[in-house]
Amino acid sequence: MNKNKSLYWNLCIAGVILVSILSFTPLVLPVGIYEPMLFGVPYSLWMGILVAILLVFLTYLGTKVHPGNGEEDHND
Amino acid sequence: MERRITMIKWVIIFAIIYLGILVTLALISRSKVKSVDDFMMGGFNIGYFLGFMTFAATLFSTFTLLGMPDFFRNHGVGAWMFLAVSDGVMIFMVLWFGYHLRKKAKEKKFRGMSGLLTDCYGSKWAGYVYFIGIFLFLVPYVSIQIRGISIFLDASFNHALPPWGWATLILFVMILYSETGGLKAIMYSDVFQGILLMTVVWIIAYTCVQNMNGVKQMFEEVRLVNEGLLSVPGPKGLFSIQFLLVSMIAIVLIPVTQPQISSRIVIMRNQSSMNRMAVAVGCFAMLVILPTVAIGMYGAVKYADHSTPDFLSQVLLFDQPGIIAAATMIGLIAAAISTSDSQIFAMSGELRSLLKGEEKKVLKTTKIGMVVFAVAALIFSLISSNQLALLARLSFTGTGLMAPMVLLAILSKKKIGMTMVWVSATAILVFIGSLLGALPSDIMGLRMDLLLFISLGMISFLMVVFDGGEKSDTV
Repeated sequence: MNKNKSLYWNLCIAGVILVSILSFTPLVLPVGIYEPMLFGVPYSLWMGILVAILLVFLTYLGTKVHPGNGEEDHND
Repeated sequence: MERRITMIKWVIIFAIIYLGILVTLALISRSKVKSVDDFMMGGFNIGYFLGFMTFAATLFSTFTLLGMPDFFRNHGVGAWMFLAVSDGVMIFMVLWFGYHLRKKAKEKKFRGMSGLLTDCYGSKWAGYVYFIGIFLFLVPYVSIQIRGISIFLDASFNHALPPWGWATLILFVMILYSETGGLKAIMYSDVFQGILLMTVVWIIAYTCVQNMNGVKQMFEEVRLVNEGLLSVPGPKGLFSIQFLLVSMIAIVLIPVTQPQISSRIVIMRNQSSMNRMAVAVGCFAMLVILPTVAIGMYGAVKYADHSTPDFLSQVLLFDQPGIIAAATMIGLIAAAISTSDSQIFAMSGELRSLLKGEEKKVLKTTKIGMVVFAVAALIFSLISSNQLALLARLSFTGTGLMAPMVLLAILSKKKIGMTMVWVSATAILVFIGSLLGALPSDIMGLRMDLLLFISLGMISFLMVVFDGGEKSDTV
């Protein structure tokens, strides 16, 4: 179970690093281009919003699989 | 004129309510303080909701409501990447780093990061370097809160008080209730400020979108006025990949290097509370930054040529109904106070962690330190520029340079050599030199700040490999 948690946690870390790197590429930030627009919102903005949501989701997943979960802590 | 009178009437009503809440919270907190740890660290027992609100309110300040709309207005949609995406990565950092920090803090009896570093490196100089670093870069950050709100109040109240008068008044209120109620008082006021900030920013954004006949029409008008705002690097070329990359590194490292944030991680009740807090802060970040896009885009169309204070007073006050304008003003003052008091309190906490001796004497010195830090921030606020977002970034970058030094201390099991401390001190001096123009701001096309981050990262990596700095675990 712990091994699985560790694997999933490492996958979360890898996911965050990958998304962070991708967010600096023309896939998210094409220079001087604002199309295709989504509901009138320019490309880099709606892609940026998607990236941000994905990062929050990965953090949420991270809280579920963090190998340190359940360890004793302050005033538990 | 009538609108202004209505607004002032509401400002007075809200100000009385706000001050009443502050006094009540400070007194309630004071009655619960039984020890110095209660006063300085909230008793190390902060639950998820209070932790989330205080973290969010400390992170999202006047800079969010004043700096971000202005950033979107002048530099376009890349500002989302600058802050929101960086914050998305930062909350994951809270999760990863928080676990290690809390473990180390428990082991070493945490009083502040300076004290922890002194302990880990086995030298007071480690604590001193960190303390001087945060003093140099947090004082400007506190100052921009104070300056932002002062110039805004000055413009809104038709120069009834000079900016330094507003700044002094705000700092006085802040010191008074921080010294009365301690960290818990600050945290309770953060809850109030966080809710107010979120409410106000959405109401204003909604008004802006309504005035522009919807989101689609808003961006269409922005396209006609200034097409460059719809993509990177923006019309003035600010949002280059290098700029955004350094910004992300600096923001992601905030939980590692800024004591008002790292101390909030340590004082959470348990790991689970901290985890939930991180996710909640991430959601809060997206929700509070999103409306500033609309405010900024509205400003780009309606107030493209206005100065920063004029744009902000127009969009936040004079284009709003009196009651909303008044709530905004109180919300901004609350935001400025809640971020500044957290930072000044954290700097005082750092001072305390470096001091030894009888607790009562130490606490007295700490409280004097709080006043000294506030005065330093006041002086800097009078001489700093109006570029709030850029000054905030500068502060994040400056403190970020200490991250490898902190990370090495937190992640290592063994006592580590002082090399990283001296390298970090040198990096800070080089960074300051480049800011003052004494050293180049870029070398061979690489920004100096990025170059420093890369160099520090590589040196700390080499130290981990060759200097015996062994990682504590694989998490």
